[in-house]
Amino acid sequence: MLLYSFIFPIISILAIVWFAFRYLRGKNSFFTTILWSIFWIIVAIFSLFPNLSNSFARMVGITRGLDFIIILVFIILFYTVLRLYFIVDKLQNDMNTIVKQVAIQNEITLDDEEE
Amino acid sequence: MEYKITKEDKDATYVVLPAYNEATRIQPVIEAIAEKGYNMVIVNDGSSDNTLDVILESKRKYPDKVHVYSLLINRGVGVATQTGFDAALKFNSKYIVSMDSDGQHSADDLDAVIKPLVIGEAQAVIGVRPLKDMPRSRNYANAIMNFLTRIFYRVNVSDSQTGFRAITREALDKISINATGYLISSEFIREINDNNIPFAEVPIETIYTPETQAKGTNVSVAIKILLQMIKHQF
Repeated sequence: MLLYSFIFPIISILAIVWFAFRYLRGKNSFFTTILWSIFWIIVAIFSLFPNLSNSFARMVGITRGLDFIIILVFIILFYTVLRLYFIVDKLQNDMNTIVKQVAIQNEITLDDEEE
Repeated sequence: MEYKITKEDKDATYVVLPAYNEATRIQPVIEAIAEKGYNMVIVNDGSSDNTLDVILESKRKYPDKVHVYSLLINRGVGVATQTGFDAALKFNSKYIVSMDSDGQHSADDLDAVIKPLVIGEAQAVIGVRPLKDMPRSRNYANAIMNFLTRIFYRVNVSDSQTGFRAITREALDKISINATGYLISSEFIREINDNNIPFAEVPIETIYTPETQAKGTNVSVAIKILLQMIKHQF
């Protein structure tokens, strides 16, 4: 057995436990926890049974198992970046609303400056 | 007979000045507008220099004409202008104007810009900069932005990137501005068009100095605006 076949399943178990703890503490949504758990289960399965990736690859018309894994990781990363982009965009809009509201409610007078 | 802007018209007008790091340029702008008899809403956009102190110094001279607001952090000309518009609506305003605070625009043009609103000829006005006065790089960027505004927002105007614009209170209530940066210029025009608000173009003087040229729509800003326009399509 190769070294990664030991390391990746251990990392996967730790990651799933970590996500479960975060969910229990209310820091993750249920959907995020499930999504990341599925991802780490797939990582663990592929590292324990590397040849399995070939079967999945053939199912979607890709010849090599490694190519399938690379494409899968690429899709996951793309989704993650897109999700982060939308989160940052929403946070920016929220920030703008707050900064505007604070400014409008606090007209600066000459008395403020003297204080 | 040609209509002359009265004191009542000026009292009902609020000029919004978004200001980011304009400590060395804003004072003559404020004083020129105040001397003309117009009210101002000045929004300090989280400047890192002493712009706010300079604004307050001018407020001491014209306490009734100058209203000052300050964003806690720098959020861009779009957010600062939106804040100014919202603040202007709190006052007894009938006409709201926005101008650049770097001295690029002349206070002498204020009467001409609000005139179509006062006489009921239009409900929104954009101040159009003469192309011959524009530096070449700005001219190209502006031509590209006019073209993109036509493509993305389906509005044909002579100067889509002007920061000198005026609108009536009723029209401002109808439009919705969300742009944070320089996209505000094109968005303002799109909103006027989408809401069927009658608008006019008024020629304005533009004073270009090396400092004013460093700001505004250059080619890199034009690319940013293009990306925002594409984003706004979704």
